[in-house]
Amino acid sequence: MTTPLILLPGDEVPSDYLPSSKSNPLKIGSGLRLLSQPSTKSKEPNHVLSATQAGILETDARRNTISLLSFPNRRYIPTTNDLIIAQVHHSSADFFHCMITPHTAQALLGQLSFEGATKKTRPMLKQGDIVYARVLSVGIGAGAEVELTCVNPATGKANPGGLGPLNGGMVFDLSTGMAARLLHASSSSADDDEPVDGLVVLSELGKKLEGFGGFELAVGRNGKVWVDCSNAEENAIKVTIAIGRCLQGTDEHNLNPADQKKLVTRTLRDMKLV
Amino acid sequence: MVGPTASLSNLHRADGSASYKCPVTGYDVLGAVNAPIELPARKDALKPEDATIEVFVKPGKATAGVGERYVERILRTMLEKVILGREKGLPRRGVVITLAAVGGEAAERGDSYITIIPALLHASLLALISAAVPLSMTFTTTLLGVTRSGQIIRDPSPAAAKAVASLHVLSFSSKGHLLLSESQGRFDFETWELVRQQAASICRAVATTGSDGDTDMGEGADGAHVDAFVRETVEDSLHRDYTWKLESA
Repeated sequence: MTTPLILLPGDEVPSDYLPSSKSNPLKIGSGLRLLSQPSTKSKEPNHVLSATQAGILETDARRNTISLLSFPNRRYIPTTNDLIIAQVHHSSADFFHCMITPHTAQALLGQLSFEGATKKTRPMLKQGDIVYARVLSVGIGAGAEVELTCVNPATGKANPGGLGPLNGGMVFDLSTGMAARLLHASSSSADDDEPVDGLVVLSELGKKLEGFGGFELAVGRNGKVWVDCSNAEENAIKVTIAIGRCLQGTDEHNLNPADQKKLVTRTLRDMKLV
Repeated sequence: MVGPTASLSNLHRADGSASYKCPVTGYDVLGAVNAPIELPARKDALKPEDATIEVFVKPGKATAGVGERYVERILRTMLEKVILGREKGLPRRGVVITLAAVGGEAAERGDSYITIIPALLHASLLALISAAVPLSMTFTTTLLGVTRSGQIIRDPSPAAAKAVASLHVLSFSSKGHLLLSESQGRFDFETWELVRQQAASICRAVATTGSDGDTDMGEGADGAHVDAFVRETVEDSLHRDYTWKLESA
């Protein structure tokens, strides 16, 4: 592992940082743009990439990808296949018009893009309802509409991901960086007790709150997390708030694993849950 | 000489924010950037393939007047060149930059407004970086005053700025282009050329080669070049945000 390289807008990616695998084409993530690529005509043997944002360069040699990790509190920009938590603003004949981030154009969610939905059995979502959806397309060209779906287009099922309306519970705001980190940590299989991405807050909460019937969590890439613990009965509100506070505290103060454990203990004690 | 101080992502609810404080001139600017957001009233139709950039400057103790409108226009024209408005997610959307002068002496009626431009530009650059708005390059800005005796002074204080013969604001990109040149007062071309050379050596760490072939090492005594300061501020902030990643690696 080489030392992390931090780039500023306009910096070129040094050629020795580029993944050298030739088997599959280089995939360029956010924050970088391609200036020239190797071809028979140009003399340049390597890709020339330039940064458009400030961030830490991250490469994956196996999948031949390169991207830039930028500041975690930036605004979410819809990207195809991202899981997000959207709020229904209003509905029209064919679509639910949903909000993803404040002050941006509404995204469209088809009235029939739910698992098993037909004209007769579609979910009746009202203004303010929350859905867990996948970004189906972001359109081509300027100002195109974002389309969401709550089913896997290949299978017609809501899984994987447990898409669909989220009933009950509460939504908390997080930074987009933290949301991406939570999703990444949950997708990479934790076969041992090693914390993934330096996150122990959820496993710690899971251990401590087992007696209250556990909790359900959905993380949206647009910086939202939905928490539901209806199993906790009379303590449901307390447990929900405690989980939200722990996640937001970890995000805001950028806590390390030891401090995350302390925060969980302190929050649960303050809420008289231990 | 005391260098400027800056910090990133101070505001919780803005997409990106930064504060920039220059102890010599006394300006303290807080900048917030929200992007990309939807524009009201079809302003986007004017430039369908590009982002629309809006700049608002607010003085700390008074309402904004013609002076603020004047610097807003200068900032907007310059930032439009640097922001990549055609990158993903930005066309037909707005980039709103709000800058508030939270400290320092308020400019009085008849005072020069160009003295505050370096602080405003640095605050907006850092806030744009913090909001991850795509930029083609970074830039640095400096304020120079030429006294009546022809001496060039760096970052004159508001009191000193009233006494000089001419004031100059110059901005250089990280690749060495001259992006902005605003001047005020009486001066000739030779003076301006001297000012440009000095500004280039303050803004950029790259040694400038003089006409006689000697390498001019710039302001060696000050040590701190402005572009090194910008880079350090951003790197520190990224290190803090990604401690979890860098420690595990």
